[in-house]
Amino acid sequence: MARPLAEALEHLVSGIVDHPDDVTVREKQGRGRGTLLKVTVHPEDLGRVIGRAGRTAKSLRTVINAIAGGRGVRVDFVDVNGR
Amino acid sequence: MTENPLEAEGDIAADYLEGLLDIIDVDGDLEMDVENGRAMVAIVGEDLYELVGDGGEVLDALQDLARLAVMRETGHRSRLMLDVGGYRAALRKELTDQGTRAVDEVKRTGESVSLPPMTPFERKVVHDAVAAAGLVSESSGEEPNRYVVVLPA
Repeated sequence: MARPLAEALEHLVSGIVDHPDDVTVREKQGRGRGTLLKVTVHPEDLGRVIGRAGRTAKSLRTVINAIAGGRGVRVDFVDVNGR
Repeated sequence: MTENPLEAEGDIAADYLEGLLDIIDVDGDLEMDVENGRAMVAIVGEDLYELVGDGGEVLDALQDLARLAVMRETGHRSRLMLDVGGYRAALRKELTDQGTRAVDEVKRTGESVSLPPMTPFERKVVHDAVAAAGLVSESSGEEPNRYVVVLPA
């Protein structure tokens, strides 16, 4: 059951940021390391998606890994400047 | 548009969560309520365990995100409570029963009873159950090992 993880993550992130149109999620199949989801957001929103002490990033990873059904999925967050 | 701000919070959170359910093709109905000055949102349905997780870990994460989605729209921090598959409701009942049993034991023995360590939310439910059964309780110990002690009358 392959689920649209990138689409789910894009929905979750877009709903909590001030610049939802700037959110993109790219899915990369790593070799042996499972799936990587790379989330790009507007620079003003990076702090928001990471959250205090990384709490929001952790919540996003928890939900995505749950709906991935235990497949290890990595989620990275960067802003449009690549930071 | 909804008039009551707490109802509006529930609507925003429900839209956000319903969007997720649609994408991952999970059947669940959204129920909204307002209780004790908080918006309550529940995802109701069968086979929702994956959205609860061990110890409610996924549920807590979804609640966290739903609160942020509300804050994005309203500009205010939300205390919204989310339940999934009746997990919190069942936990609340179990804790209430635990508090009531401790009250029975204290009344029978005349001695205080200490319960296992609990989160602040869990302790609140137990304190309420103890008060409803006519005794007084207090919290003791340091987080994360803080626990409820039920005192004799």
